Amino acid sequence: MKTSGKILAQKISGINESKIFSARSKNLPTWCPGCGYFGIHQGLNNAIQKLKLPHHKIVTVSGIGCAGRYPFFTKTYGLHTAHGRTLPVSTGVKLANPELTVFAVGGDGDGLAIGGGHLPHIARRNVDVNYLLFDNSIYGLTKGQASPSSPQGFKSKTSPTGTSEAPLNATLLTLSYGASFVARLFAGDPEVITEVLIEGIKHKGFSFFHIYSTCLTFDNQFKTWENLNEQVHPLPKSYDCSDLKQAFDMARDDPFSTGIIYKRD
Amino acid sequence: MPKVDITIEICGMSGNGTIAAGGILNQAMSRAGFSVIAFDSYPAEIRGFGRCIAHSRIGDEVMQALSDKINVLISLDDQQSLSRIPFLAEKAFVLFDNKPPVYVEENRSLAAHIKTDAQLIGMPMTDISAGATGSTRGRNICALGGFASFMGIPPEFFHKAIEKKFIAKGKKILEANLKSFDEGYFHVKEKKDFQPSSALSVPKKASEKETILISGNDSIVRGALDADLKLFFGYPITPATPIMESLAKLLPERGGKVVQMEDEIASIGAVLGSFYAGKRAMTATSGPGFALMTELITHGIMAEIPAVILNAQRAGPSTGLPTKTEQSDLQSAVFGGPGDSARIVLAPTNVMECYEFTLKSFQIAERYQTPVIILTDFFLNNRVESIKNPAASPEELADGNIYPEESEKENYSRYRDTKSGISSRAVPGAEGYLYNATGLEHSEKGDLDFSPENHMKMSEKRHRKIYEALVDLPVPVEALSSPKMDLGVIAWGSTYGAALEAVQKTKRRKLNVGLLKITSIFPYHANVIQQFMERCDKILIPELNYEGQLANLIGHLYKKRIIRLNRATGIPMSANVILEKIETCI
Repeated sequence: MKTSGKILAQKISGINESKIFSARSKNLPTWCPGCGYFGIHQGLNNAIQKLKLPHHKIVTVSGIGCAGRYPFFTKTYGLHTAHGRTLPVSTGVKLANPELTVFAVGGDGDGLAIGGGHLPHIARRNVDVNYLLFDNSIYGLTKGQASPSSPQGFKSKTSPTGTSEAPLNATLLTLSYGASFVARLFAGDPEVITEVLIEGIKHKGFSFFHIYSTCLTFDNQFKTWENLNEQVHPLPKSYDCSDLKQAFDMARDDPFSTGIIYKRD
Repeated sequence: MPKVDITIEICGMSGNGTIAAGGILNQAMSRAGFSVIAFDSYPAEIRGFGRCIAHSRIGDEVMQALSDKINVLISLDDQQSLSRIPFLAEKAFVLFDNKPPVYVEENRSLAAHIKTDAQLIGMPMTDISAGATGSTRGRNICALGGFASFMGIPPEFFHKAIEKKFIAKGKKILEANLKSFDEGYFHVKEKKDFQPSSALSVPKKASEKETILISGNDSIVRGALDADLKLFFGYPITPATPIMESLAKLLPERGGKVVQMEDEIASIGAVLGSFYAGKRAMTATSGPGFALMTELITHGIMAEIPAVILNAQRAGPSTGLPTKTEQSDLQSAVFGGPGDSARIVLAPTNVMECYEFTLKSFQIAERYQTPVIILTDFFLNNRVESIKNPAASPEELADGNIYPEESEKENYSRYRDTKSGISSRAVPGAEGYLYNATGLEHSEKGDLDFSPENHMKMSEKRHRKIYEALVDLPVPVEALSSPKMDLGVIAWGSTYGAALEAVQKTKRRKLNVGLLKITSIFPYHANVIQQFMERCDKILIPELNYEGQLANLIGHLYKKRIIRLNRATGIPMSANVILEKIETCI
């Protein structure tokens, strides 16, 4: 764990030198040291800076969980809602004032379990909201229970003999829901996150970012830095993100390929 | 007491055009200058085999309750109408089809069952309609012709109402219906074997601009539109759906939008998001949907975000009785949800107040930065009343938001603990006031703070604010009261109209009874209520629920035990039921 924590720390310190940190709040993140969420935070910050988005015209809406605390660590308007309700609340914000840039932020429990019923509908309404799903396949803030994206056999406090349920593939689901922008990312690659977020923010319509992350504290079996670093790889150069059929294949058959999986104007 | 007070029921099987005929009847009577209150009863199934009743009460004074005595029964289906016989008033008129389309056994025929002094007026509605238009579909309208004739109502009022109803369906259908009406009218006019009614003399016709015939639902829609509603989020549920349907037509042309959400949780979520971003939004639901909303309602309370939620109550827990009326969501509206979560709950008692309270609730929600719940019920939402055409004053239209001062910039405390508990609220887009709204306990700055002192302080702030709102909420209103009373009746919601009529009737018997109307359910004006209670030897609270939910809420203000009249019947409270209870209490 120590080594992989270092990998991310090196990447972040590399970006640190560029001193683009103004979207950070004075509140320091409460995430555990070495958490993948720092990488996502970094990636989003840089996207905001590079696009020169005025902070008072950004609303960060979040649900409950480790990812749900995100608004407190940014310098934007924040709306920390109830568990699972990130997407409908974001819909209200965006429809009320289309000039605002809206980031919806939540974890895999928030977005795929309790709030799973909202994802198809924001996708089919194509509301111009940027949804970052932080997927570490665990309930971290309640201290380590299996989530809907935990792999079968995953041992946790609520599944001592291993989960029997099959995991959900958030990228594949969102493609099926008809989303117009679907990307898969890795918390260990903040530069890629920034790059893809910029594309997604510019996209007029619902943008979905499925971001693999770690939970150093409660998962040493599955989504560890070691495993993810090994598994995650960029999409092939020849990949055409406008081809929905190819996108479905990629989402299902190569679940650790990252980049813009699908984009439709 | 009104000189004209007549209750008309049209009763038929679903598919007979019962409710449509009732609508035309109400429209015509309103155009003729009568005061109308009307309510339909129909089965929950669209194509179910069920009884439909269009119930109208008309008079020369404002009517606020239904009557359980029928003066005129128009039967479109004898088998269904049999059930109405026990409710016939003395010397009632019964209009029936003496050549019905469906074979009715002799012993099932309506005429064979009426043993009272009712006047029976048989007319071959089916034959007349078929002869006039080649179709039996105008049978219900033909019956209205017969009704207009024996009641002495000039046909032009009905002609106009029929035009209004059918104009959109094309000239052919309109003319067929007018013809059915006229044939029915002349058929009865030519019959001389019964005594025409003298009870209805058409009053001086009021200008149509001054008086309108409108349902509770449409009155709510008018209130919301006048409040400059921008976004409506909802999920279909009886009996609140007509609100969303009307707004779907009317809101886009005013630059607004209706979004049918995936459930009620999403609906209230989007309403909160919209108000947070500075736009007026609303949702309307009924008990089961309201139950789903409670968590996010408390989020609005905690994060101090305005919202307007209309709960059109229906009967029973769970899915209950979807097309029946009840006042049983009071407790869930006032107390539902986690934690100490005081919120504002208003309950209109009539169609006019549906407009006024809807209009007002947006401003209140903005000023006090908290969800406002409007409690109506199936009866109030669906009944139509002739009311004075409502209009909003400039004060009622004003923005209720309290924006931060320039001086608060850069060091903004979103949840500043003020004397009133009200803090200024910045809207995203405003520079220099970034803050987080959260459902977690937070400091004045909006940062997380779970310390004992802070939770106590902020709980107090939020509650102080709610009680502060009392100055802007409608005060209880006394009616027919005196300095000392043998019995005081306290009523809320749609039951108030029946209570008013009951108390009016006690005056004829020289009983010392007074009435108090409560429309601010929470917070409530405890002092005003207590002062009324202290002047009464006994207190009676009639409610359309089993538990006596208002009595549970305010009972502690009275030193004695409150007398309850709790009806869980799914039908509106009638004045007679309350009157009987008053008489047994005194």
